[in-house]
Amino acid sequence: MRNRVMSPILVPVALLACSCVTFAQTYGTKGYSPGAWKPDELPKGVSDPKPFNAHDLSGVWSLPTTQGYFERHSLNDKAVKIPPGTPEQFGESAFPPPMTAWGKAKFDSYKPNYGPRSVPPGQGNDPIGDCDPMGYPQDLFRAHLLPWEFLVLPDQVLQHMQFRDAWRIIWTDGRDLPKNPDPAWYGYSVGHWEGDTFVVKSNGYDDRTWLDLYGDPHSDQMVLEERFRRVDIDHLEHSMTLTDPKTYTQPWVGDKITWVRKKVAIFEQICAPSEESHFNDRIRDAAIGKSKP
Amino acid sequence: MKLKLSTCFVLLVGSLVVGAPLFAHHGTGVAYETGKGTEVTLKGTVTEWIWANPHCGLLFDVTDAKGIVQHWGAELGNPHKESLGGFSKDILKPGDKITVTGHPSKSGAPRMTLSRVVLADGHALPDKAVKGNGEEDPSE
Repeated sequence: MRNRVMSPILVPVALLACSCVTFAQTYGTKGYSPGAWKPDELPKGVSDPKPFNAHDLSGVWSLPTTQGYFERHSLNDKAVKIPPGTPEQFGESAFPPPMTAWGKAKFDSYKPNYGPRSVPPGQGNDPIGDCDPMGYPQDLFRAHLLPWEFLVLPDQVLQHMQFRDAWRIIWTDGRDLPKNPDPAWYGYSVGHWEGDTFVVKSNGYDDRTWLDLYGDPHSDQMVLEERFRRVDIDHLEHSMTLTDPKTYTQPWVGDKITWVRKKVAIFEQICAPSEESHFNDRIRDAAIGKSKP
Repeated sequence: MKLKLSTCFVLLVGSLVVGAPLFAHHGTGVAYETGKGTEVTLKGTVTEWIWANPHCGLLFDVTDAKGIVQHWGAELGNPHKESLGGFSKDILKPGDKITVTGHPSKSGAPRMTLSRVVLADGHALPDKAVKGNGEEDPSE
């Protein structure tokens, strides 16, 4: 009796499990870090790459390394190559569209630690300095050195960013964006395929996050449209358009990014409030005389 | 048979981080001297070694010729980046004698961004240079 009840359940569950494993394989990604596994402790063959499939976005992605190119900071960046030794925070800025009055007021209230308006971290008000979530797309822009990964499931694509260990769910089950969602740090996202391009639309972003390290703002009305296209095993093209009429008078079209597949896995990089607070008190704030050395 | 979410996807924990220039972190260059020739070198004793995300930190006491103790602190990057250069959570402990070189705070406060630390046995850290934003992957 028990087997007759279980059998109709086992078959679809088994199929689902198999499909999960198939989608979830990564392209030649190995996993170790200092303080964790050593390279010789990993099973052989664990990271043999799969054949190329344009509809499989899985993998660990990062920005290419160029001498002097530190980090991408925003949808557009003025300086792509920064000479070594240049204080980058003085050399870069984003190029957002013109702001509305609301957007400009927000912008003026933000005191960033990067860019032409930068102040010492202890004097700024960037919420990430207290371990608040970075939000999207700002977390993504850290991915030059701190990569992110796509994990593909039957009804969703998970985007996992190493920096701050942030997760973003992109639903692929056919649902539309929510009509009037409660704001979320990483918003709400849905995705579908148009040929070989994965189109992602997002809304419902909490307006406490900044778009970038320069303090470019956004409202809870922000809508993002992204287009991902895997051109080969090692390269993923990505374009982004931000529409936020409450903040900007026209859409902000980001520069196209070509992500490069990394051959090492994501590792844990969590901003622990207690640790950040301790560091801030003992080092950062003491550096500007805000706390006692 | 119960399907757990953990069986549906593979999470590989552990990776090698690329080295990030220290000045790329938290707008550090705004608070510290960054120019050539601005580094200072001090001899001191470790009081605390902070091994944590997103930053590591080194606190050490420096005693001058008059016996006055100054409480210094040095800022470093995240643990995995520092691991590339030979640092670890146990490499320093209170009481260790060290020689520290770094760029001091613009405010004059006894804080710096760490360039190099030499341990009592002469071992200098970081013990490996990362080329620009060089990416290393010994697993390849």
